Amino acid sequence: MPHFEKIEYKPIPVRELLLEMKNLSELMIDLAYSAALFNDKELAEDILELEARVDTLAYLLDMEIMVAARDAKDAEALIGVSTVAAATDKISDAAADIAAIVTHNIGVHPIVSAIFEKVEKHLSKATVREGSVIAGKQVGKLELAARMGVDIIAIRRNKEWIINPKDSERVFRGDVLITRGAPQGIKDFKELAEGSLTKLEGQ
Amino acid sequence: MTEQKQFEEIVARMAELKDTSELMIDLAYSSLMLNSRELAEEVQRLEEYVDQLHTDFELLVLTSDFKKEEASGFLGLIRLGVATEKIADAAAEMAEVVLRGVEPHPVLKLAIREAEETVTQACVTDSSPLINKTLKEARVHEETGMWILAIRRGEKTLRPKADSKIQAGDILIASGYAEGVNDLKKLASPEQSCKIE
Repeated sequence: MPHFEKIEYKPIPVRELLLEMKNLSELMIDLAYSAALFNDKELAEDILELEARVDTLAYLLDMEIMVAARDAKDAEALIGVSTVAAATDKISDAAADIAAIVTHNIGVHPIVSAIFEKVEKHLSKATVREGSVIAGKQVGKLELAARMGVDIIAIRRNKEWIINPKDSERVFRGDVLITRGAPQGIKDFKELAEGSLTKLEGQ
Repeated sequence: MTEQKQFEEIVARMAELKDTSELMIDLAYSSLMLNSRELAEEVQRLEEYVDQLHTDFELLVLTSDFKKEEASGFLGLIRLGVATEKIADAAAEMAEVVLRGVEPHPVLKLAIREAEETVTQACVTDSSPLINKTLKEARVHEETGMWILAIRRGEKTLRPKADSKIQAGDILIASGYAEGVNDLKKLASPEQSCKIE
């Protein structure tokens, strides 16, 4: 049985709730596909937790909208916000459905890796090797998005996943990084992490 | 169909399903940000396309020759497809907000603009190196990290093709990490910043 808690109303700006829901839902899609692609149960379990977080946000946002609507005109303007929020919630549900394929030990047929080689946005797993130029650096300082169109979405360290690492988070030797981005950037980044490429572009 | 050929078809359908569902999310957010009926209608058209693609995919998976012990993996494929289709559905629901004819609430615009993955528009001015280049030659994604979702030319909104040529006065609608927005604007309008309605 899932556990449900009472969620109390808190005054949080709708913009903040919506922003977090949008960011989380899109992050969760990539994490979920990664969990399916790499058949990673622990990552899949973390996605289920994120899904619960999005549910809470959706609940809070609905309450916020109810409080904000003073008349019919407000209601007409705000219903769209609620619709979009519900859609981000649906996206995070879909991500959780993908995660459940992994947590329920169903698994995806091995051709899944061929599928993920054909898509536009690639996902990859790389281990930071000794001597890599990125070892010891802060995620933000690497400027991966600007340099190579790559984004680190999760770091595996000490048997735990750090989801969506902050700019101030450092990468260490032995970390397993999941990245998303354009195929070439992803390929270059893997080589940087593994040490076969030793120069960060623009440095 | 040979087994090899069938696998290739399954892979191609699922990859297309995934790419299209994500394109739809970007287009749906763009339609909200710009209050654009055209982009919202494009999302609806893609939703119909995805439905067909998904059915084709499921039929291909179900008609594959597989052994009993492979059933679980095939079930996983089916579920992956269902989830991806659900993502496309969610995008279509977002686009509906625009099609109902009420101007999207300003808070939506704010949230989309501030998000980690955002949508933006940039106008192509006379001094832009992009002019007369095809999208393939322009390499906008490699240069800026932004994907071009649509090109607005006068009254028309065009879906980008590799051989579409960029013209002065075009407005590029693009999505990507927030870090790429300024790079795209600089590439499209190098000298002056241009104000779009």
